[in-house]
Amino acid sequence: MPEINEITKIRRKVLTEIAQMTFEGRLQTDVENILQSVVTDEGPRYRCCVHKERAVLQDRIKSALSQPMNSTIPEAAAAALDGNIAPAPIIQVLPVACDQCPLDRFIVTDACRNCLAHSCIASCPKKAISVVANRSFIDKSKCVECGLCKRSCPYGAILEISRPCERACELGAITADKARKAVIDYDQCVHCGACKIACPFGAISDRSMIVQVIQRIKAGRRVYALLAPAFIGQFGVQVRPGQVRASLLKVGFHDVLEVSVGADAVAVEEAREFIERTKTKGGLMTTSCCPAFVGMVEKHLPSMKENVSSLVSPMVAAAMNVKKNDPEGIVVFVGPCIAKKSEAERYPGIVDYVLTFEELATTIVGAGVNVTEMTASEFASAGSKDGNIFAKAGGVLQAVENVLAQLAPDVQVAAERCEGLGNCKKCLQEIEAGKRSANFFEGMACTGGCVGGPGVLTDSRVTAKLVENFANAAPEKSAVTNPNSEPLETLGLHRHHKTSGAADS
Amino acid sequence: MLTVELCMGTSCHLMGVQDLVAVLETLPAEQREQIEIKGVTCFKNCGKGPNIRINGELISNATPDRLLEILQANLA
Ligand code: FES
Repeated sequence: MPEINEITKIRRKVLTEIAQMTFEGRLQTDVENILQSVVTDEGPRYRCCVHKERAVLQDRIKSALSQPMNSTIPEAAAAALDGNIAPAPIIQVLPVACDQCPLDRFIVTDACRNCLAHSCIASCPKKAISVVANRSFIDKSKCVECGLCKRSCPYGAILEISRPCERACELGAITADKARKAVIDYDQCVHCGACKIACPFGAISDRSMIVQVIQRIKAGRRVYALLAPAFIGQFGVQVRPGQVRASLLKVGFHDVLEVSVGADAVAVEEAREFIERTKTKGGLMTTSCCPAFVGMVEKHLPSMKENVSSLVSPMVAAAMNVKKNDPEGIVVFVGPCIAKKSEAERYPGIVDYVLTFEELATTIVGAGVNVTEMTASEFASAGSKDGNIFAKAGGVLQAVENVLAQLAPDVQVAAERCEGLGNCKKCLQEIEAGKRSANFFEGMACTGGCVGGPGVLTDSRVTAKLVENFANAAPEKSAVTNPNSEPLETLGLHRHHKTSGAADS
Repeated sequence: MLTVELCMGTSCHLMGVQDLVAVLETLPAEQREQIEIKGVTCFKNCGKGPNIRINGELISNATPDRLLEILQANLA
Protein backbone atom coordinates (compact mmCIF):
# COMPACT_ATOMS: atom_id res chain seq x y z
CA MET A 1 0.00 0.00 0.00
CA PRO A 2 1.38 3.41 -0.90
CA GLU A 3 1.68 6.22 1.61
CA ILE A 4 -1.53 7.72 2.88
CA ASN A 5 -1.78 10.59 0.43
CA GLU A 6 -3.97 13.70 0.55
CA ILE A 7 -6.64 12.09 -1.61
CA THR A 8 -6.95 9.21 0.83
CA LYS A 9 -7.12 11.59 3.78
CA ILE A 10 -9.89 13.64 2.19
CA ARG A 11 -11.89 10.52 1.41
CA ARG A 12 -11.50 9.25 4.96
CA LYS A 13 -12.39 12.63 6.47
CA VAL A 14 -15.58 12.76 4.43
CA LEU A 15 -16.59 9.24 5.47
CA THR A 16 -15.76 9.89 9.13
CA GLU A 17 -17.77 13.11 9.25
CA ILE A 18 -20.73 11.46 7.56
CA ALA A 19 -20.57 8.55 10.00
CA GLN A 20 -20.33 10.83 13.00
CA MET A 21 -23.25 13.01 11.86
CA THR A 22 -25.33 9.91 11.22
CA PHE A 23 -24.65 8.50 14.67
CA GLU A 24 -25.44 11.85 16.25
CA GLY A 25 -28.65 12.22 14.24
CA ARG A 26 -27.63 15.45 12.51
CA LEU A 27 -26.66 14.33 9.02
CA GLN A 28 -29.71 15.94 7.43
CA THR A 29 -29.14 19.33 8.97
CA ASP A 30 -25.34 19.42 8.95
CA VAL A 31 -24.21 17.47 5.91
CA GLU A 32 -23.33 20.58 3.94
CA ASN A 33 -20.92 21.66 6.68
CA ILE A 34 -18.57 19.01 5.33
CA LEU A 35 -18.02 21.26 2.34
CA GLN A 36 -16.47 23.84 4.67
CA SER A 37 -14.69 21.54 7.11
CA VAL A 38 -12.92 19.30 4.62
CA VAL A 39 -12.10 21.99 2.08
CA THR A 40 -11.15 24.98 4.19
CA ASP A 41 -10.83 28.48 2.79
CA GLU A 42 -7.18 28.60 3.89
CA GLY A 43 -6.23 25.59 1.83
CA PRO A 44 -4.12 23.71 1.00
CA ARG A 45 -5.34 23.92 -2.60
CA TYR A 46 -5.19 20.96 -4.91
CA ARG A 47 -7.38 22.36 -7.64
CA CYS A 48 -7.64 25.70 -9.37
CA CYS A 49 -9.87 27.19 -6.70
CA VAL A 50 -11.92 26.48 -3.64
CA HIS A 51 -15.10 26.34 -5.75
CA LYS A 52 -13.82 23.53 -7.91
CA GLU A 53 -12.68 21.66 -4.83
CA ARG A 54 -16.10 21.97 -3.24
CA ALA A 55 -17.77 20.86 -6.45
CA VAL A 56 -15.61 17.73 -6.42
CA LEU A 57 -16.38 17.24 -2.76
CA GLN A 58 -20.11 17.31 -3.48
CA ASP A 59 -19.63 14.34 -5.80
CA ARG A 60 -17.58 12.55 -3.16
CA ILE A 61 -20.32 13.04 -0.60
CA LYS A 62 -22.98 11.68 -2.96
CA SER A 63 -20.82 8.66 -3.71
CA ALA A 64 -20.25 8.15 0.02
CA LEU A 65 -24.03 8.18 0.48
CA SER A 66 -24.64 5.83 -2.49
CA GLN A 67 -26.81 8.44 -4.20
CA PRO A 68 -27.01 9.64 -7.80
CA MET A 69 -24.74 12.44 -8.97
CA ASN A 70 -27.68 14.55 -10.13
CA SER A 71 -29.23 14.77 -6.67
CA THR A 72 -28.61 17.66 -4.30
CA ILE A 73 -26.66 17.03 -1.09
CA PRO A 74 -29.73 17.38 1.19
CA GLU A 75 -31.71 15.03 -1.09
CA ALA A 76 -28.85 12.57 -1.06
CA ALA A 77 -28.63 12.67 2.73
CA ALA A 78 -32.38 12.14 3.11
CA ALA A 79 -32.38 9.17 0.75
CA ALA A 80 -29.39 7.55 2.46
CA LEU A 81 -30.96 8.05 5.89
CA ASP A 82 -34.05 6.29 4.56
CA GLY A 83 -31.81 3.36 3.68
CA ASN A 84 -31.95 3.84 -0.08
CA ILE A 85 -29.12 2.85 -2.34
CA ALA A 86 -29.25 4.27 -5.84
CA PRO A 87 -28.96 1.70 -8.63
CA ALA A 88 -25.59 2.88 -9.93
CA PRO A 89 -22.35 1.08 -10.67
CA ILE A 90 -20.19 0.28 -7.64
CA ILE A 91 -17.26 2.16 -9.13
CA GLN A 92 -17.72 5.44 -10.94
CA VAL A 93 -15.69 8.26 -12.36
CA LEU A 94 -16.73 11.38 -10.46
CA PRO A 95 -17.71 13.73 -13.27
CA VAL A 96 -16.20 16.96 -11.96
CA ALA A 97 -13.16 15.34 -10.40
CA CYS A 98 -11.62 13.76 -13.50
CA ASP A 99 -8.92 16.16 -14.61
CA GLN A 100 -9.13 15.03 -18.23
CA CYS A 101 -5.39 14.35 -18.08
CA PRO A 102 -4.24 15.98 -21.32
CA LEU A 103 -1.73 13.39 -22.26
CA ASP A 104 -0.22 12.79 -25.63
CA ARG A 105 0.50 9.13 -25.72
CA PHE A 106 3.90 9.36 -27.44
CA ILE A 107 6.35 12.17 -27.00
CA VAL A 108 9.80 12.72 -28.41
CA THR A 109 12.26 13.51 -25.64
CA ASP A 110 15.55 15.43 -25.57
CA ALA A 111 17.30 12.15 -26.18
CA CYS A 112 16.43 12.44 -29.88
CA ARG A 113 19.66 12.99 -31.82
CA ASN A 114 18.11 13.69 -35.20
CA CYS A 115 20.10 10.73 -36.40
CA LEU A 116 20.62 9.84 -40.03
CA ALA A 117 18.74 6.59 -39.86
CA HIS A 118 15.43 8.21 -38.94
CA SER A 119 13.93 4.87 -38.06
CA CYS A 120 10.97 6.65 -36.51
CA ILE A 121 10.03 8.41 -39.73
CA ALA A 122 10.47 5.20 -41.65
CA SER A 123 8.41 3.22 -39.16
CA CYS A 124 5.40 5.52 -39.10
CA PRO A 125 2.57 4.14 -41.21
CA LYS A 126 0.73 7.47 -41.12
CA LYS A 127 3.62 9.73 -42.09
CA ALA A 128 3.01 11.64 -38.88
CA ILE A 129 6.69 12.22 -38.06
CA SER A 130 8.94 14.87 -39.55
CA VAL A 131 12.05 16.71 -38.39
CA VAL A 132 11.35 20.07 -36.84
CA ALA A 133 14.02 22.15 -35.07
CA ASN A 134 16.59 19.40 -35.36
CA ARG A 135 14.45 16.79 -33.71
CA SER A 136 11.69 14.38 -34.65
CA PHE A 137 8.25 15.83 -34.31
CA ILE A 138 4.98 13.88 -34.07
CA ASP A 139 2.02 15.52 -35.75
CA LYS A 140 -0.81 14.75 -33.33
CA SER A 141 -3.45 15.21 -35.97
CA LYS A 142 -2.03 12.27 -37.91
CA CYS A 143 -0.75 10.05 -35.09
CA VAL A 144 -2.86 6.97 -34.39
CA GLU A 145 -0.81 5.99 -31.31
CA CYS A 146 0.38 2.69 -32.77
CA GLY A 147 3.73 2.87 -31.00
CA LEU A 148 5.88 1.69 -33.92
CA CYS A 149 8.12 4.79 -33.67
CA LYS A 150 8.83 4.11 -30.04
CA ARG A 151 9.91 0.58 -30.81
CA SER A 152 12.00 1.64 -33.79
CA CYS A 153 14.11 4.30 -32.06
CA PRO A 154 17.60 2.96 -31.29
CA TYR A 155 18.01 5.57 -28.54
CA GLY A 156 14.72 4.85 -26.83
CA ALA A 157 14.08 8.57 -27.23
CA ILE A 158 10.35 8.28 -27.70
CA LEU A 159 8.40 7.97 -24.53
CA GLU A 160 5.02 6.42 -24.03
CA ILE A 161 2.89 8.05 -21.38
CA SER A 162 -0.38 6.64 -20.22
CA ARG A 163 -2.92 7.79 -17.72
CA PRO A 164 -2.59 6.24 -14.28
CA CYS A 165 -6.12 4.84 -14.45
CA GLU A 166 -5.60 3.23 -17.84
CA ARG A 167 -2.30 1.78 -16.77
CA ALA A 168 -3.76 0.40 -13.55
CA CYS A 169 -6.59 -1.43 -15.31
CA GLU A 170 -5.20 -4.69 -16.54
CA LEU A 171 -8.42 -5.44 -18.39
CA GLY A 172 -8.52 -2.30 -20.52
CA ALA A 173 -11.86 -1.30 -19.03
CA ILE A 174 -11.11 2.39 -18.56
CA THR A 175 -10.26 4.74 -21.40
CA ALA A 176 -10.54 8.42 -22.23
CA ASP A 177 -13.48 9.70 -24.21
CA LYS A 178 -13.25 12.46 -26.82
CA ALA A 179 -13.30 15.13 -24.13
CA ARG A 180 -10.41 13.26 -22.43
CA LYS A 181 -12.56 12.28 -19.46
CA ALA A 182 -12.05 8.78 -18.13
CA VAL A 183 -14.90 6.42 -18.92
CA ILE A 184 -15.42 2.96 -17.51
CA ASP A 185 -16.73 0.26 -19.83
CA TYR A 186 -18.87 -1.78 -17.49
CA ASP A 187 -18.95 -4.71 -19.90
CA GLN A 188 -15.22 -5.07 -19.20
CA CYS A 189 -14.96 -3.80 -15.61
CA VAL A 190 -14.91 -6.28 -12.72
CA HIS A 191 -14.80 -3.66 -9.93
CA CYS A 192 -11.35 -4.60 -8.68
CA GLY A 193 -10.68 -1.00 -7.61
CA ALA A 194 -7.21 -0.67 -9.15
CA CYS A 195 -8.13 2.55 -11.00
CA LYS A 196 -9.48 4.13 -7.84
CA ILE A 197 -6.19 3.58 -6.06
CA ALA A 198 -4.18 4.78 -9.05
CA CYS A 199 -5.92 8.07 -9.86
CA PRO A 200 -3.87 10.95 -8.40
CA PHE A 201 -6.93 13.21 -8.51
CA GLY A 202 -9.12 10.83 -6.54
CA ALA A 203 -11.59 11.00 -9.39
CA ILE A 204 -12.70 7.40 -9.17
CA SER A 205 -14.85 6.39 -6.29
CA ASP A 206 -16.69 3.33 -5.03
CA ARG A 207 -19.97 4.00 -3.35
CA SER A 208 -20.33 3.43 0.32
CA MET A 209 -23.18 2.17 2.48
CA ILE A 210 -22.02 3.39 5.88
CA VAL A 211 -25.09 5.56 6.49
CA GLN A 212 -27.46 2.77 5.58
CA VAL A 213 -25.64 0.38 7.94
CA ILE A 214 -25.53 2.91 10.80
CA GLN A 215 -29.26 3.57 10.40
CA ARG A 216 -29.98 -0.15 10.75
CA ILE A 217 -27.89 -0.26 13.89
CA LYS A 218 -29.65 2.79 15.30
CA ALA A 219 -33.03 1.28 14.49
CA GLY A 220 -32.15 -1.53 16.88
CA ARG A 221 -31.87 -4.26 14.25
CA ARG A 222 -29.57 -7.19 14.89
CA VAL A 223 -26.69 -6.21 12.62
CA TYR A 224 -23.90 -8.78 12.24
CA ALA A 225 -20.39 -7.80 11.22
CA LEU A 226 -18.73 -10.56 9.21
CA LEU A 227 -15.01 -9.94 9.20
CA ALA A 228 -12.96 -11.18 6.26
CA PRO A 229 -9.85 -13.06 7.44
CA ALA A 230 -7.69 -10.15 6.20
CA PHE A 231 -8.90 -8.06 9.17
CA ILE A 232 -5.87 -8.95 11.25
CA GLY A 233 -3.68 -5.87 11.72
CA GLN A 234 -5.92 -3.53 9.74
CA PHE A 235 -6.69 -1.23 12.64
CA GLY A 236 -3.08 -1.04 13.76
CA VAL A 237 -0.30 -3.60 13.89
CA GLN A 238 -0.51 -3.79 17.68
CA VAL A 239 -4.29 -4.03 17.81
CA ARG A 240 -5.58 -7.37 19.01
CA PRO A 241 -8.54 -9.11 17.37
CA GLY A 242 -10.40 -8.99 20.68
CA GLN A 243 -10.17 -5.20 20.63
CA VAL A 244 -11.73 -5.10 17.17
CA ARG A 245 -14.55 -7.27 18.36
CA ALA A 246 -15.10 -5.16 21.48
CA SER A 247 -15.11 -1.98 19.37
CA LEU A 248 -17.74 -3.28 16.99
CA LEU A 249 -19.98 -4.38 19.84
CA LYS A 250 -19.62 -0.91 21.33
CA VAL A 251 -20.49 0.67 17.98
CA GLY A 252 -23.72 -1.31 18.17
CA PHE A 253 -23.21 -4.42 16.08
CA HIS A 254 -25.16 -7.33 17.49
CA ASP A 255 -22.37 -9.85 16.92
CA VAL A 256 -18.99 -10.11 15.24
CA LEU A 257 -18.28 -13.24 13.22
CA GLU A 258 -15.41 -14.45 11.08
CA VAL A 259 -15.70 -15.22 7.39
CA SER A 260 -12.88 -17.74 7.85
CA VAL A 261 -15.56 -20.17 9.02
CA GLY A 262 -17.23 -19.83 5.62
CA ALA A 263 -13.80 -20.22 4.03
CA ASP A 264 -13.42 -23.55 5.81
CA ALA A 265 -16.68 -24.74 4.31
CA VAL A 266 -15.56 -23.57 0.88
CA ALA A 267 -12.14 -25.22 1.15
CA VAL A 268 -13.70 -28.57 1.94
CA GLU A 269 -16.34 -28.36 -0.74
CA GLU A 270 -13.92 -27.04 -3.34
CA ALA A 271 -11.67 -30.02 -2.67
CA ARG A 272 -14.66 -32.34 -3.05
CA GLU A 273 -15.62 -30.74 -6.33
CA PHE A 274 -12.04 -31.11 -7.52
CA ILE A 275 -12.01 -34.79 -6.65
CA GLU A 276 -15.30 -35.19 -8.47
CA ARG A 277 -13.97 -33.42 -11.56
CA THR A 278 -10.80 -35.52 -11.69
CA LYS A 279 -13.02 -38.62 -11.65
CA THR A 280 -15.31 -37.37 -14.40
CA LYS A 281 -14.38 -34.70 -16.90
CA GLY A 282 -10.88 -33.87 -15.67
CA GLY A 283 -9.28 -30.68 -16.92
CA LEU A 284 -8.81 -27.46 -15.05
CA MET A 285 -10.68 -26.13 -12.04
CA THR A 286 -10.13 -22.64 -10.67
CA THR A 287 -10.97 -21.10 -7.33
CA SER A 288 -14.06 -18.91 -7.06
CA CYS A 289 -13.55 -16.89 -3.87
CA CYS A 290 -12.18 -13.72 -5.51
CA PRO A 291 -15.11 -11.94 -7.19
CA ALA A 292 -12.91 -9.82 -9.45
CA PHE A 293 -11.17 -12.95 -10.69
CA VAL A 294 -14.49 -14.70 -11.33
CA GLY A 295 -15.73 -11.54 -13.08
CA MET A 296 -12.62 -11.50 -15.25
CA VAL A 297 -13.21 -15.07 -16.39
CA GLU A 298 -16.90 -14.39 -17.06
CA LYS A 299 -16.27 -11.19 -19.02
CA HIS A 300 -12.91 -11.81 -20.64
CA LEU A 301 -12.52 -15.58 -20.94
CA PRO A 302 -16.13 -16.76 -21.31
CA SER A 303 -14.99 -20.04 -22.85
CA MET A 304 -13.46 -20.92 -19.47
CA LYS A 305 -16.50 -20.14 -17.32
CA GLU A 306 -17.12 -23.80 -16.65
CA ASN A 307 -13.62 -24.17 -15.26
CA VAL A 308 -14.44 -21.91 -12.32
CA SER A 309 -15.48 -23.92 -9.29
CA SER A 310 -19.22 -23.81 -8.78
CA LEU A 311 -18.95 -22.73 -5.15
CA VAL A 312 -20.14 -19.53 -3.59
CA SER A 313 -17.48 -17.42 -1.90
CA PRO A 314 -16.64 -17.62 1.81
CA MET A 315 -18.53 -14.34 2.25
CA VAL A 316 -21.74 -15.84 0.92
CA ALA A 317 -21.25 -19.10 2.83
CA ALA A 318 -20.73 -17.22 6.09
CA ALA A 319 -23.69 -14.96 5.40
CA MET A 320 -25.98 -17.93 4.67
CA ASN A 321 -24.97 -19.37 7.97
CA VAL A 322 -26.03 -16.21 9.80
CA LYS A 323 -29.35 -16.02 7.96
CA LYS A 324 -30.07 -19.63 8.75
CA ASN A 325 -29.73 -18.95 12.46
CA ASP A 326 -31.28 -15.49 12.42
CA PRO A 327 -33.43 -14.83 9.34
CA GLU A 328 -34.18 -11.31 10.60
CA GLY A 329 -30.53 -10.46 11.13
CA ILE A 330 -28.75 -7.95 8.91
CA VAL A 331 -25.46 -9.15 7.44
CA VAL A 332 -22.64 -6.67 6.87
CA PHE A 333 -19.55 -8.14 5.25
CA VAL A 334 -16.39 -6.21 6.09
CA GLY A 335 -13.31 -6.77 3.99
CA PRO A 336 -10.50 -5.36 1.90
CA CYS A 337 -12.47 -5.64 -1.29
CA ILE A 338 -14.55 -3.40 -3.53
CA ALA A 339 -15.58 -6.18 -5.92
CA LYS A 340 -17.40 -7.83 -3.00
CA LYS A 341 -19.88 -4.93 -3.16
CA SER A 342 -20.78 -6.00 -6.62
CA GLU A 343 -20.78 -9.71 -5.74
CA ALA A 344 -23.18 -9.03 -2.85
CA GLU A 345 -25.71 -7.55 -5.28
CA ARG A 346 -26.09 -11.04 -6.72
CA TYR A 347 -27.16 -12.30 -3.32
CA PRO A 348 -29.94 -10.00 -2.18
CA GLY A 349 -31.28 -10.98 1.22
CA ILE A 350 -28.11 -12.89 2.06
CA VAL A 351 -25.35 -10.30 2.11
CA ASP A 352 -27.16 -7.08 2.97
CA TYR A 353 -24.23 -4.65 2.98
CA VAL A 354 -20.54 -4.62 2.22
CA LEU A 355 -18.05 -2.27 3.86
CA THR A 356 -14.32 -2.00 3.33
CA PHE A 357 -11.97 -1.94 6.30
CA GLU A 358 -11.53 1.73 5.55
CA GLU A 359 -15.27 2.35 5.72
CA LEU A 360 -15.58 0.33 8.91
CA ALA A 361 -12.77 2.28 10.57
CA THR A 362 -14.42 5.59 9.69
CA THR A 363 -17.66 4.22 11.13
CA ILE A 364 -15.88 3.25 14.35
CA VAL A 365 -14.30 6.69 14.65
CA GLY A 366 -17.63 8.31 13.78
CA ALA A 367 -19.19 6.44 16.69
CA GLY A 368 -16.58 7.94 18.99
CA VAL A 369 -14.84 4.60 19.54
CA ASN A 370 -11.08 4.15 19.52
CA VAL A 371 -10.02 0.54 18.95
CA THR A 372 -6.70 1.02 20.75
CA GLU A 373 -8.48 2.08 23.94
CA MET A 374 -10.70 -1.00 24.14
CA THR A 375 -9.91 -3.85 26.50
CA ALA A 376 -9.45 -6.97 24.48
CA SER A 377 -11.82 -9.80 25.22
CA GLU A 378 -10.67 -13.36 24.67
CA PHE A 379 -10.48 -14.05 20.98
CA ALA A 380 -9.70 -17.41 19.47
CA SER A 381 -10.49 -17.77 15.80
CA ALA A 382 -13.57 -19.84 15.03
CA GLY A 383 -12.10 -20.54 11.62
CA SER A 384 -9.39 -23.13 11.18
CA LYS A 385 -5.87 -22.48 10.01
CA ASP A 386 -7.07 -23.32 6.48
CA GLY A 387 -9.89 -20.80 6.46
CA ASN A 388 -7.76 -18.01 7.88
CA ILE A 389 -4.99 -18.40 5.34
CA PHE A 390 -7.42 -17.53 2.50
CA ALA A 391 -6.52 -13.89 3.09
CA LYS A 392 -3.10 -14.12 1.51
CA ALA A 393 -2.08 -15.12 -1.96
CA GLY A 394 -1.42 -18.83 -2.17
CA GLY A 395 -3.56 -19.48 0.88
CA VAL A 396 -6.62 -20.86 -0.86
CA LEU A 397 -4.47 -23.27 -2.79
CA GLN A 398 -2.73 -24.28 0.40
CA ALA A 399 -6.05 -24.84 2.18
CA VAL A 400 -7.48 -26.94 -0.66
CA GLU A 401 -4.27 -28.99 -0.82
CA ASN A 402 -4.47 -29.57 2.93
CA VAL A 403 -8.03 -30.78 2.60
CA LEU A 404 -7.18 -33.00 -0.37
CA ALA A 405 -4.32 -34.56 1.56
CA GLN A 406 -6.89 -35.71 4.10
CA LEU A 407 -9.82 -36.60 1.87
CA ALA A 408 -8.11 -38.02 -1.18
CA PRO A 409 -4.34 -38.33 -0.79
CA ASP A 410 -4.00 -40.10 -4.16
CA VAL A 411 -5.48 -37.30 -6.23
CA GLN A 412 -2.74 -35.56 -8.18
CA VAL A 413 -2.71 -31.78 -7.99
CA ALA A 414 -0.83 -29.82 -10.62
CA ALA A 415 -1.42 -26.31 -9.39
CA GLU A 416 -0.71 -22.86 -10.74
CA ARG A 417 -1.55 -19.58 -9.10
CA CYS A 418 -1.41 -15.94 -10.09
CA GLU A 419 -1.87 -12.51 -8.55
CA GLY A 420 -3.15 -9.61 -10.63
CA LEU A 421 -5.93 -9.85 -13.19
CA GLY A 422 -3.60 -9.45 -16.17
CA ASN A 423 -1.39 -12.28 -14.94
CA CYS A 424 -4.37 -14.50 -14.19
CA LYS A 425 -5.81 -13.90 -17.65
CA LYS A 426 -2.54 -14.62 -19.41
CA CYS A 427 -1.89 -17.77 -17.43
CA LEU A 428 -5.39 -19.13 -18.00
CA GLN A 429 -5.10 -18.46 -21.72
CA GLU A 430 -1.86 -20.39 -21.79
CA ILE A 431 -3.43 -23.28 -19.94
CA GLU A 432 -6.37 -23.26 -22.33
CA ALA A 433 -4.00 -23.21 -25.30
CA GLY A 434 -2.11 -26.18 -23.86
CA LYS A 435 1.10 -24.21 -23.34
CA ARG A 436 0.98 -24.89 -19.63
CA SER A 437 -0.52 -27.80 -17.87
CA ALA A 438 -2.41 -27.48 -14.63
CA ASN A 439 -5.55 -28.98 -13.17
CA PHE A 440 -5.98 -26.47 -10.34
CA PHE A 441 -5.65 -22.70 -10.43
CA GLU A 442 -5.84 -20.08 -7.70
CA GLY A 443 -6.76 -16.66 -9.05
CA MET A 444 -6.33 -13.47 -7.02
CA ALA A 445 -7.07 -10.07 -8.52
CA CYS A 446 -4.93 -8.18 -6.02
CA THR A 447 -1.20 -8.45 -5.55
CA GLY A 448 -0.59 -10.30 -2.31
CA GLY A 449 -4.15 -11.63 -2.30
CA CYS A 450 -6.92 -10.10 -0.17
CA VAL A 451 -4.45 -8.38 2.18
CA GLY A 452 -3.43 -6.29 -0.83
CA GLY A 453 -6.98 -5.20 -1.61
CA PRO A 454 -8.06 -1.60 -2.30
CA GLY A 455 -9.94 -1.27 1.00
CA VAL A 456 -7.12 -2.10 3.42
CA LEU A 457 -5.59 0.16 6.07
CA THR A 458 -2.23 -1.48 6.64
CA ASP A 459 0.59 -2.41 4.29
CA SER A 460 0.12 -5.91 2.93
CA ARG A 461 3.74 -6.85 3.54
CA VAL A 462 3.00 -6.48 7.26
CA THR A 463 -0.48 -7.96 7.31
CA ALA A 464 0.44 -11.02 5.22
CA LYS A 465 2.75 -12.04 8.04
CA LEU A 466 0.19 -11.22 10.74
CA VAL A 467 -2.48 -13.25 8.94
CA GLU A 468 -0.12 -16.19 8.79
CA ASN A 469 0.66 -15.97 12.50
CA PHE A 470 -3.04 -15.71 13.35
CA ALA A 471 -3.81 -18.72 11.14
CA ASN A 472 -1.08 -20.75 12.79
CA ALA A 473 -2.47 -19.85 16.21
CA ALA A 474 -6.02 -20.93 15.35
CA PRO A 475 -7.14 -23.69 17.74
CA GLU A 476 -8.66 -25.65 14.85
CA LYS A 477 -5.98 -26.92 12.53
CA SER A 478 -8.07 -28.18 9.66
CA ALA A 479 -11.13 -27.12 7.70
CA VAL A 480 -12.20 -30.75 7.51
CA THR A 481 -12.49 -31.23 11.25
CA ASN A 482 -13.53 -27.72 12.31
CA PRO A 483 -16.75 -28.17 14.31
CA ASN A 484 -17.59 -24.46 13.92
CA SER A 485 -17.92 -24.80 10.20
CA GLU A 486 -21.47 -25.50 9.09
CA PRO A 487 -22.08 -28.81 7.26
CA LEU A 488 -22.28 -27.80 3.63
CA GLU A 489 -25.27 -29.80 2.58
CA THR A 490 -27.43 -27.60 4.75
CA LEU A 491 -26.35 -24.39 3.10
CA GLY A 492 -26.67 -24.91 -0.64
CA LEU A 493 -23.23 -23.66 -1.47
CA HIS A 494 -23.25 -23.82 -5.21
CA ARG A 495 -23.46 -20.62 -7.18
CA HIS A 496 -25.66 -22.10 -9.83
CA HIS A 497 -28.17 -23.40 -7.33
CA LYS A 498 -31.09 -21.19 -6.51
CA THR A 499 -31.05 -20.59 -2.80
CA SER A 500 -34.35 -20.49 -1.05
CA GLY A 501 -36.03 -20.59 2.32
CA ALA A 502 -34.40 -18.74 5.17
CA ALA A 503 -32.11 -16.85 2.87
CA ASP A 504 -34.96 -14.96 1.24
CA SER A 505 -36.11 -13.09 4.31
CA MET B 1 17.61 12.70 23.62
CA LEU B 2 14.43 13.31 21.70
CA THR B 3 11.11 11.87 22.82
CA VAL B 4 8.74 11.15 19.97
CA GLU B 5 5.24 10.08 20.95
CA LEU B 6 3.02 8.83 18.16
CA CYS B 7 -0.75 8.52 18.39
CA MET B 8 -1.72 5.01 17.35
CA GLY B 9 -5.45 5.67 17.88
CA THR B 10 -7.93 4.66 15.20
CA SER B 11 -8.45 8.17 13.89
CA CYS B 12 -4.74 8.85 13.55
CA HIS B 13 -4.27 5.38 12.06
CA LEU B 14 -6.74 6.37 9.34
CA MET B 15 -4.79 9.56 8.73
CA GLY B 16 -1.56 7.67 8.19
CA VAL B 17 0.44 7.52 11.41
CA GLN B 18 2.07 4.35 10.10
CA ASP B 19 3.88 6.43 7.48
CA LEU B 20 5.44 8.39 10.35
CA VAL B 21 6.43 5.17 12.08
CA ALA B 22 8.07 4.14 8.81
CA VAL B 23 10.13 7.34 8.82
CA LEU B 24 11.48 6.52 12.28
CA GLU B 25 12.19 2.94 11.32
CA THR B 26 14.30 3.93 8.35
CA LEU B 27 16.54 6.35 10.25
CA PRO B 28 20.20 5.38 10.44
CA ALA B 29 21.07 3.57 13.67
CA GLU B 30 23.06 6.42 15.17
CA GLN B 31 20.04 8.71 14.86
CA ARG B 32 17.59 6.05 16.04
CA GLU B 33 19.59 5.73 19.24
CA GLN B 34 18.96 9.37 20.04
CA ILE B 35 15.21 8.96 19.97
CA GLU B 36 12.86 7.51 22.50
CA ILE B 37 9.73 6.32 20.68
CA LYS B 38 6.43 5.91 22.50
CA GLY B 39 2.97 4.93 21.36
CA VAL B 40 -0.06 6.82 22.67
CA THR B 41 -3.69 5.80 22.19
CA CYS B 42 -5.18 9.29 21.78
CA PHE B 43 -4.09 12.90 22.17
CA LYS B 44 -7.73 14.02 22.21
CA ASN B 45 -7.09 15.93 19.01
CA CYS B 46 -8.50 13.34 16.64
CA GLY B 47 -9.85 15.60 13.91
CA LYS B 48 -6.36 16.90 13.18
CA GLY B 49 -4.44 13.66 12.85
CA PRO B 50 -2.03 12.22 12.58
CA ASN B 51 -0.87 13.69 15.86
CA ILE B 52 2.60 13.30 17.31
CA ARG B 53 4.36 14.92 20.24
CA ILE B 54 8.03 15.72 20.12
CA ASN B 55 9.66 16.69 23.40
CA GLY B 56 6.27 17.71 24.73
CA GLU B 57 5.17 19.74 21.73
CA LEU B 58 2.08 18.50 19.91
CA ILE B 59 2.27 18.46 16.14
CA SER B 60 -1.01 18.00 14.29
CA ASN B 61 -1.56 17.02 10.67
CA ALA B 62 1.95 15.60 10.78
CA THR B 63 3.48 14.42 7.53
CA PRO B 64 6.59 12.30 6.92
CA ASP B 65 8.35 15.37 5.46
CA ARG B 66 7.54 17.56 8.45
CA LEU B 67 8.70 14.86 10.86
CA LEU B 68 11.97 14.40 8.99
CA GLU B 69 12.54 18.14 9.03
CA ILE B 70 12.11 18.32 12.79
CA LEU B 71 14.29 15.29 13.34
CA GLN B 72 17.10 16.59 11.17
CA ALA B 73 16.98 19.92 12.98
CA ASN B 74 17.22 18.25 16.38
CA LEU B 75 19.45 15.25 15.88
CA ALA B 76 23.19 15.20 15.71
S1 FES C 1 -6.76 9.10 17.79
FE1 FES C 1 -5.00 10.34 17.57
S2 FES C 1 -5.60 12.10 18.66
FE2 FES C 1 -7.29 10.82 18.98
